[in-house]
Amino acid sequence: MSSKTLGWGSALSGQGLFETRELVAIGLFSAAAKASSLMLALVGGGMNPLTLILKSAVQSALLVVLLAKVPKTGTLTLSNLIGLLLSFLLMGQHVISLPVILAGTMAVELVAWLCGGLARRPWLAIPMLAASELAIRLINVAVSFLGVREQPGLMAMVIAVSAFSYLGILLGLVGGVRMTRELRHAGLIQN
Amino acid sequence: MRALSRIDQHRGAGRLRLRPETRLLLMVAASVSSLALGAPRALALLLAFSMLYAAAETRPRTLLMAYAFMGLMCAMSLACVWLLGSIFPPMRDAPLSMAISPFLRLGVSLNALLPLALNSRLTDLAMALGRLRLPGIVRLPLMVTIRFIPTILNDLVQLREVVGIRFRGRRGLLFWLRHPITWWRVFFQPLIVRLIRSADELAMASELKGLEPDTDFGGHPGPFSADDRLAMLMAALAIGLSAAAEMALRGLGHA
Repeated sequence: MSSKTLGWGSALSGQGLFETRELVAIGLFSAAAKASSLMLALVGGGMNPLTLILKSAVQSALLVVLLAKVPKTGTLTLSNLIGLLLSFLLMGQHVISLPVILAGTMAVELVAWLCGGLARRPWLAIPMLAASELAIRLINVAVSFLGVREQPGLMAMVIAVSAFSYLGILLGLVGGVRMTRELRHAGLIQN
Repeated sequence: MRALSRIDQHRGAGRLRLRPETRLLLMVAASVSSLALGAPRALALLLAFSMLYAAAETRPRTLLMAYAFMGLMCAMSLACVWLLGSIFPPMRDAPLSMAISPFLRLGVSLNALLPLALNSRLTDLAMALGRLRLPGIVRLPLMVTIRFIPTILNDLVQLREVVGIRFRGRRGLLFWLRHPITWWRVFFQPLIVRLIRSADELAMASELKGLEPDTDFGGHPGPFSADDRLAMLMAALAIGLSAAAEMALRGLGHA
């Protein structure tokens, strides 16, 4: 069924936005992000700065490859939503920040769409990811402040963790771009 | 009877036999209300109620271990704050009665999380989300993610073993720190290639089986049981009492 023939109910449920194969790819990449962060936390001996950087680097590189494989508006929001829901189910994280993070990611995707969209300008994936990950970290810091507002000293640790993880995101973007180029060259991702 | 077993399969373990939806709802309510409350005594009241819920749903040994771990984390956080306070004296200005509020909030969240995490299988939780009428474009990737996390973990373990054979004798942390690009190539690239191939194969299989984003995975487990309704009522009562205590304390100037 083409998306043009779908009614309002289908549009609101997201039917027609993505094909089954794209949703499967988003699910698999989300599983890889979660499994690799779990593995790195186990092998790296907990959340030290090095593990944090590596975990974020792998996560952002996976997102770069995913956006090259499914270059559609909504891919990043959906991928973030799956990751957040999984963290919510596994560890009770992001109860408060989930809607705000989603709104932030959707705003970033809207700007990318206004600039021409990923299908026409694939390089938009990089500024889009850098901006959305920065927004996520800022939102997390703000929500953490709500939780520890009586003890501002604890914020120093929250900010340090966010800073290390954002550094990893930036490194991962570089690795992801190189990786995507090689995968395109090998024909594993279509141009 | 089959009908009864169908309903029962949606309930997790735990003494109260609550549905995952109820546990999710209680966790969200506990997190939001603990953030909204600020007075340590009101938070302590909410913590006491949440401890009753956790004790009813979790084995005592597990609960004690979780509390011991949380205590260790809190002690480490306080040590860091004390260290920062000795470097920047204005940070030491918060009175102790207010400084414990973040830890009380953490305790409330932990008490609400433990019954959910320990008594519900992840597939049941995903099905519960499906029953909450999540759109198909969220449900399908979420199911794929949950199904494939163990498979990918297994792949990563195999990759680690392969690297162990290939780089025998020089696998220490220092070697990988000096060769981050080698680490990237031997761990990350095989994972990505495997992911892309799996995504294509799985997509083809699911399309051949006629799997659509609006496929119903959740089933219909029927109305909430008496236990579910009682737990929700008790939670509303506990939050209401804590909010009333907060307002009374603010009125007396003790908050």
